[in-house]
Amino acid sequence: MAQELKAKGNELYKAGDYIGAEDFFSQAIQKNPHDATFFTNRAVTRSKLAKWADVEHDARAAIEIYGLKNPAALKSQNYLAEALLCLQRPQEAHDVASDAYQQSLAVKNAQSENLSRNVLRAKQQIWAARETARLRELNETLGSVEALVEADVTRALAELQGRLERGEIGEIGFGEDQKALHEDADAKIRNLREAFRVASNGEVQERVVPDYLVDGITFEIMHDPVITPSGVSFDRLAITKYVEKAGVDPLTRAPISVHDLKSNKALKAASAEFLAKNGWAVDW
Amino acid sequence: MFATKRLSKELVKMQEHVPPGIAIVKCDNLEEWQMDIKILDQNPLYLDQTYRLKFTFSNKYPIEPPEVQFIQCPDSTGTPRTIPMHPHIYSNGIICLDLLGSAGWSPVQTVESVCMSLQSMLTANNRNERPPGDQEFIATNRRRIRDINFVYEDDNV
Repeated sequence: MAQELKAKGNELYKAGDYIGAEDFFSQAIQKNPHDATFFTNRAVTRSKLAKWADVEHDARAAIEIYGLKNPAALKSQNYLAEALLCLQRPQEAHDVASDAYQQSLAVKNAQSENLSRNVLRAKQQIWAARETARLRELNETLGSVEALVEADVTRALAELQGRLERGEIGEIGFGEDQKALHEDADAKIRNLREAFRVASNGEVQERVVPDYLVDGITFEIMHDPVITPSGVSFDRLAITKYVEKAGVDPLTRAPISVHDLKSNKALKAASAEFLAKNGWAVDW
Repeated sequence: MFATKRLSKELVKMQEHVPPGIAIVKCDNLEEWQMDIKILDQNPLYLDQTYRLKFTFSNKYPIEPPEVQFIQCPDSTGTPRTIPMHPHIYSNGIICLDLLGSAGWSPVQTVESVCMSLQSMLTANNRNERPPGDQEFIATNRRRIRDINFVYEDDNV
């Protein structure tokens, strides 16, 4: 009975009727709340509807049923990471995706690629959040410095007014000095804003990923580098694919197997540090 | 899965700088590119000539090699191109070079490095001839380039 409801839900999902499909999966869950596939199917349906909090709920429910260490739960772990990213909870998404990525590698699960991408997206989002906070802080600093310039000019204008009233200067001199003070203040604020823009806007600074962090196969930044017997590092997923197929080192062509690829932990740490400060590198 | 991102990065790099004698002719999509190469030394076989290469990429690039061959362009195009004479290049433009075969390919190779390898393969040649069995090969070969089992017996060329 519950299986029939699930089958109907799958049909509607394939036809693109996500609202209808969600309804059938919900009915199936009501009949039998112990079948993890009902939850994973509803999770992926809800992700089509961008109901991320509900995706999080369903993915967690499926993982709970499967058990955290069950490879069958890896797909749900990936949905969970995606939902958390969309809910702007990158640190949680990062933790879920990294653990699942390690687990997926160990059992050679097909989710490794998706999980790897979500680890990177999470790193990027963590950086972006920190960057936004930094810019906001910078804007506050700029605001208070601008206020100082404005207070300064107000004081100078008041003094000028006083000199006019005491007859120390004439109307014409007053007008000229007043204009000069305004222009001077405007120029100061323009310069300040320019200086802050240069300091804060990443587009002005050159965004370059150092060569030692760039994978020679995908040309992207490595987040899980492994080193070959010839001493060159590549990103794990790309080099694994090549070595499984060709059975040789891409540079020396000496025969190697995937077991000869060792984690390059120092480079991994360097990459993590770089990404924490340069989240843009994920899209580079 | 890597192909599009990797190729767009190669393109960005080459638009900044290409080695002498290499030029991008056509790269408006990420499936087929055309490149022009020139031989820079005074080798009389290739003096003052420009040759056109066609690269075809699968979505498994760079895990799998691109298909690379020389192509002809008629005079009417304004950029006439012929197939260079070489004992490893058939008259239909198919190239017998180990690094372009599935077994010799390495994913660290790039469009640029392939062009440079072909430049040096031509530079080093002094034989004005086609591979043995050229006429028969071009009349009968219907296989895809990377599936052809070339024998790379002659490393001196």
